[in-house]
Order: sequence, then structure tokens, then C-alpha cells
Amino acid sequence: MQGTTRAREEDAQPLRASPLRDGAVADDPSRTDVALADLIADIARRDATALRTLYDRTAPKLLGVILRIQTDRGMAEDVLQEVYLRVWQKAASYSPAAGRPLAWLCSIARNRAIDGVRRRQEVQGPVTEDGEDWVERLVDPHDSEGTILGRDALRACLGRLEAMHRDCIVLAYCEGQSREDLALRYDRPVSTIKTWLHRGLATLRGCLDGVA
Amino acid sequence: MTPDPDERDLRLAEYVLGTLPPAERAAVDLELAVDPTARAAREAWERRLAPLALAAPEVPPGPEVWPAIARAVAGDGAGHRAAAANDDRIGALQGAVWRWRLAAGTAAALAAGLALFIAVGEPRPGDGDGRYIAVVNSGGEAPALLVSIDTRAGTARVRPVGAQAPAGHSLELWYVGAGEPPKTLGLVGSDAKGLILPAKADALAGGTFAVSVEPEGGSPTGLPTGPVVYSGKLIRE
Repeated sequence: MQGTTRAREEDAQPLRASPLRDGAVADDPSRTDVALADLIADIARRDATALRTLYDRTAPKLLGVILRIQTDRGMAEDVLQEVYLRVWQKAASYSPAAGRPLAWLCSIARNRAIDGVRRRQEVQGPVTEDGEDWVERLVDPHDSEGTILGRDALRACLGRLEAMHRDCIVLAYCEGQSREDLALRYDRPVSTIKTWLHRGLATLRGCLDGVA
Repeated sequence: MTPDPDERDLRLAEYVLGTLPPAERAAVDLELAVDPTARAAREAWERRLAPLALAAPEVPPGPEVWPAIARAVAGDGAGHRAAAANDDRIGALQGAVWRWRLAAGTAAALAAGLALFIAVGEPRPGDGDGRYIAVVNSGGEAPALLVSIDTRAGTARVRPVGAQAPAGHSLELWYVGAGEPPKTLGLVGSDAKGLILPAKADALAGGTFAVSVEPEGGSPTGLPTGPVVYSGKLIRE
């Protein structure tokens, strides 16, 4: 439990050297949302230049999201291509109700990546970080988008879950672990994993909706 | 079966997490295609968990990724400039390189682009089929499917008009009651075909009909496994 609030030295590793993230994307959150939403609107009008700009600003983030799930670099880049073609195709259907622009893009990326690994029925490779490490990333001081996206609330609410429930949720969401993967990891029946996930998710929902 | 709203919300949460078994995941895809409340619940879960996705470390893509996207997009622009908006969106996926990889996405685009509705006509005297249901696309073009329901026999007849299954695949008709898992009504053949209804026709009005693309011969799992290409509700006149 304490692990979620403890600041850990090793998490301050220099993972974010991209000049993009600290430039136009991250600095002014409201302008970023507006700028990305404007690009998506331009893309809906078949503006390929806007697609290029959106790609330049967001592709490193989306590839990061995809690679946590699809760890094969080549396949992950294939998924990335599918994601931007899907954006080209679906831009007209974007509305702010579907979430902030970057979160919307991330959800498309996660969905395509998970569809890919499930379709191939892949068992996920060895877990490189435990769930807590992904939670720790929520306190990364450089992660400026997070501050405006309920990051603190999510971190606090994840911290209230039982450790194994939380880790199952985080490993599933961040790394695309299936119920079977988690059953192997924790040496429990799949039905137990499902119960953990449901209990954890229900508690998380209650906590987050209560905060909001 | 009384659907448990909490159970349903947790199923959508697991859909967002990605932990549903493939058959259940496909069933939720269908639910999302036909049910706005399911879409709202999914969006709520996406919002709750989004900070975890946004915390992913950035990884610059290789130099060959953008050119591949640009080629697919350029092919779309050249071939479909004069096409209508819906066709254009579908055309975006029809570059030769992408045709196979994105087969599922193309069908999903059809579902998004073709807003369909089903109308139920009053039974006419002497009309053996009882009620007629027509699936018509929003632009008023030829209907994709004609569905007629015989309330007395409890069967539906489905005649594809504009609808075509991709080569090597079948179209399968599903009925989704509110909060229930999809039930198959059978395959949509090239000829008019009688399909058995799952319940009394009067009870069907609350649910949604949907057509998914399945492997030849139909879904192997009893639940939809492919993308939903058409959906519509019964509307009483």
C-alpha cells in the first residue's frame, strides 16, 4: 500500500528525452487540448498536413502506450500505423465527450494493441515491471499532462485498493495482461483473478466518482 | 434473465482493461455498436483510467512509419476525392497495403458510416408474413437488408439487397435484448431465408438487430466474433 505514495529515486530515470513532450504538447494544458482538437477537426476535413502534425506531436506517446502491451517493436509500429489510419477515418466522430484528445488517441492505441495480442492469443512475455512501477509513474514530476487528467485522484484511489487487486488492474491496463496471464503470475484460478478485478474496479469506481 | 447493471458496468470496465475473453470482447463490441448507454459507460471507464495510459514513457517511432501512413492516406485522397463522406471514410482504408491488415477496421467504418433504421409495417389482410421490417440506410438508397417477421410462426426472413459478405465470410444476424448477450438468429444467405426468432415478436421491439461479419458458416463461439456492419431497432408504425 505504501508503495503508491512513496517517491522512489529509481523512477526519476531520464525516460523522456523527446523534445516534443516538453514543448507544444505539455506546457499549456488547455492550449494543448484545443490545439489537438483543432488538428482532429482538420483531419476530419481530409487535411493530411494536420494528420502529419498530429503524428509528430503524439506518435511517441502512443508508441509508448502500444509497446507496453505489444512488446515486439515491429508489430508495435504496425499497430501505430493502424492507429493513425483509424484516426484519419474516425476523426469526424471525435467529440470532447469521448475524452480529452490525447486520452482519446491513447484509448484507440490501447484497443488496437490489445485486439492484436488477443487475436493472436499471445501469452504476454515476462513482466518487466510490476504493477506498482506503473503506478509510480503517476507521480513522475515531468508528466505534466497527468496533473490535469485526474492523475492524483487515480493514484490516491489505486492506493486504497488491496495490493493484488490493484496490481492486476494496472498490469492488465498498462501491459495488456489477460486473466490467464495474471492467473499464472499469482498462481490462482482464473475465476479468482476475475473476482479480484471486479472487486478492485468496483472500489476504484466508487472512490473516483466520489472524488469527482 | 435479469441483467445486473453493476455486472454490466464491470464487464465494460474489463473491456477497457482488455481482460475479457475474446468471445465476450466481441460481444461487447456488438453491444457498443448498438447501445449508447454502453458507450457512455465505456467512456467513463476510459476517463477514469486514462492517466495510467498517459504515464507511458515516450518512444519515438522509426522513420519508416510515417511514410507508410502517408502512402495509405494519399492513395485514399486520389481515388476518392469526389466520393461522398461515408464512402471517403471507407476508402481511406482501401489502399492495397492496408486492405488485409485493416479488414476489421473497414467493416467497423461501414457500421459507423451507415446509419440504419428498421421500420415495422402493419400486417396487411391476407399477407402471410404478418409484419414487414425493412432495413434502410439513412441516405434513402437501396436497403442493405430486408427483414420480415412472421409473428404467428415466430420466424424472420432476411433478404440481403445491398449487403455483401466479404469473400470467405458470412454475415450473421443477431438480436440483442437490453442488457442481454447477443443471440444468433442465423446466417444471412444470398437467398431469402427463414430464421427462428428467440422470443415473442412483441418482446423483440425493445432490442436491437445487428449483423456481424463472421467466418464462413457463422460464428464458431455462439457469440459475435467479427465486426458489426449493420444495426437497427424495431420501430412500430
